[in-house]
Amino acid sequence: MLPDATRVKSLLSHFDGVEVETTTLGVVARVAAADVPSALGTLKASDLDFVMLVDLLGADTGEEIEITYHLRSFSRDEELFVKTRLPYDGVLISVWNSFASALLPERETAELFGLTLAGHPNPKRLLTIEGEAPLLRKSVAIRTLEEVRDR
Amino acid sequence: MALDKLTGENSIAFIRSEQLFDWARRNSLWYLAFGIACCAIEGLMSASGPRFDFDRMGVFFRASPRQADVMIVAGTVNKKMAETVRRLYDQMPEPKWVVSMGACANTGGPFREYPNVVLGVDTIVPVDVYVPGCPPRPEAVQYAFIELQKKIAEQTEGRLAARRDQG
Amino acid sequence: MTPDPRDTVLDHGLLAEGTFEPGEAPAGIRRAPTGIDQLATEHLIVNVGPQHPSTHGVLRIVAELDGEEIVNAEAAVGYLHRGIEKLGEHRRYHQLATLMDRGDYVSGIHGELAAALAVERLMEIEVPRKAQWLRCLMSELNRIASHMVWYGTFGLDIGAMGQFLYAMRDREAILDILEEVTGQRMMFNYVRPGGVLEDLPAGTEEKIRAFLRTIDGYLDEHDALLGGNEIFLKRVRGVGTIDRETALSFGLTGANLRASGVPYDVRRDQPYAAYDELEFDVPVGATGDAHDRYLVRMEEMRQAVRMIRQCVDGMPEGEVMAKVPKVLRPPAGEIYACVESSRGELGVHLVSDGSDTPERFHYRGPSLFAMQVLEEIMPGTLFADGMMLIGSVDVVLGEIDR
Repeated sequence: MLPDATRVKSLLSHFDGVEVETTTLGVVARVAAADVPSALGTLKASDLDFVMLVDLLGADTGEEIEITYHLRSFSRDEELFVKTRLPYDGVLISVWNSFASALLPERETAELFGLTLAGHPNPKRLLTIEGEAPLLRKSVAIRTLEEVRDR
Repeated sequence: MALDKLTGENSIAFIRSEQLFDWARRNSLWYLAFGIACCAIEGLMSASGPRFDFDRMGVFFRASPRQADVMIVAGTVNKKMAETVRRLYDQMPEPKWVVSMGACANTGGPFREYPNVVLGVDTIVPVDVYVPGCPPRPEAVQYAFIELQKKIAEQTEGRLAARRDQG
Repeated sequence: MTPDPRDTVLDHGLLAEGTFEPGEAPAGIRRAPTGIDQLATEHLIVNVGPQHPSTHGVLRIVAELDGEEIVNAEAAVGYLHRGIEKLGEHRRYHQLATLMDRGDYVSGIHGELAAALAVERLMEIEVPRKAQWLRCLMSELNRIASHMVWYGTFGLDIGAMGQFLYAMRDREAILDILEEVTGQRMMFNYVRPGGVLEDLPAGTEEKIRAFLRTIDGYLDEHDALLGGNEIFLKRVRGVGTIDRETALSFGLTGANLRASGVPYDVRRDQPYAAYDELEFDVPVGATGDAHDRYLVRMEEMRQAVRMIRQCVDGMPEGEVMAKVPKVLRPPAGEIYACVESSRGELGVHLVSDGSDTPERFHYRGPSLFAMQVLEEIMPGTLFADGMMLIGSVDVVLGEIDR
């Protein structure tokens, strides 16, 4: 179910440059990266009751990294996507104070996109060994057929 | 060597100690319970389940590498895992064998293009038997153990023959 | 009669209160004697895994122990990170199922289904009714097979062996059916965007009915074998309690969330395939301890059996595959589709740029979130119970590392 876009917009109105739109994904709110922790905190505490962070993912758009936070409200049966954009050398600010479920996905996203993690209780690498390239960036290529064949 | 000879008229059987030990080894291939990925469900879990029942071949799982003879590498080995695989192999007492189970352990399988994945476990530890499939059926793993038994027998015979030639 | 050494100690009054003043050791005594209640034990760091029989794959737990009690625990993952998301960006949409199968490898159908749903919703493909029903049938069969693995290994974590053998017996019966329909025992590749691979082959329906005739009795037997065992109950009751707030804040889904008292089930609340036409109950736990998670999963198996009955009896006639192009090119856009897998909400977040490969392919594995909560609930429990808790939240490592 889609939440009321105007209601979401008015809740987030005290943050600069907030845009709320309805796409194929659902209702998407775009927030500046520095405002994300407080914006998510506002949404959690509001009457929209977004109590769960279902998912957190990054995506390389070719120019910057787009982070998507997927929120869900059980009492109202609604879902909201909060998006923010970070430069390639950007800092991902942890939202674990509001949503503990972000702990591991944040570590994973920061590692695989080469971002720096701030405000995280355990900002270590999660999946790969030290020195591995940020694998999910578009600039990191997968192995070619020749490399695989001549192993 | 037939066992009935031990109890019958000729109650003495002559066998080289090496042959005796290898006969025992062949029939008690204990594998290390070390499942990495999907193949572990087929090769380790279903295998020890009631239908495929590897126990009857003397193939049984052990939790510690110190007690294991065979390591079944069942799944994708990545760079982070590679060190552990090698360490576990080094911890196993000699003689030891490695069964590489499934496409991932053989060559990297469906994930071979990902830079974090090792292209085949044979770049880390020496492999005795390769089992193709994604995942191989438990019967295929059973067949791998039969092949391994043959290989062990051949190795003994080969060693003995070489010694005969020398002497 | 040899004197009890403890008596000798007591005779010297060492354990009596107030007889000993620290720092007053007389000359010639190396160390001032202390009462055992003042003995401070060092904390011990124990590394479990990645090769350990009770970590369900290659999970590694580093636990700090004070005696037998876990003080702190950290889960280390990444030993199975093989790039499902990255490779998905280089595969065509039809090929995503191959990768999804190997994510949650114990219940492959659910993964395939999530990927197929995402593509269908983006391209607005109408899936034939029969395909929807077949998807439900296969999902539920796979759910029982997957829960059987959980049931068998959960008992192993506690030290029981028998139930594992019985669970494998029932799992093999289901795998026979799945193999007959899809051609594989585990990596099915059966659910495709637009429908399913094939209709049930001749004779399979009878096989499913034969399975249904026995499974009810077997499930009762399973419940009596493990759930009726006094030792088992003592080990799981009141251990590893996850309250409602913790469950929500850690993003738990599936049986783990329902055991904590949140009645959320994707099948009921965001129906996909033919679940809106099927009747089933959503079991909910009361306290959220390990025993509740056990009860919820056992009841889920019974509900799955109920749904399989409805699917077999009410299977509609018709096509199993919609007309879809050989190469799928969804319009540019973003979509999230989720299914209720055996472990919880399995989601696929897909970003399309209009080409034949996804721009971004993200896999939301429920196990990742279930594992996070371990770090929260393990401290304060005994080490042996900590191992049991890994089994009780039912994680699959393929889904955590992806």
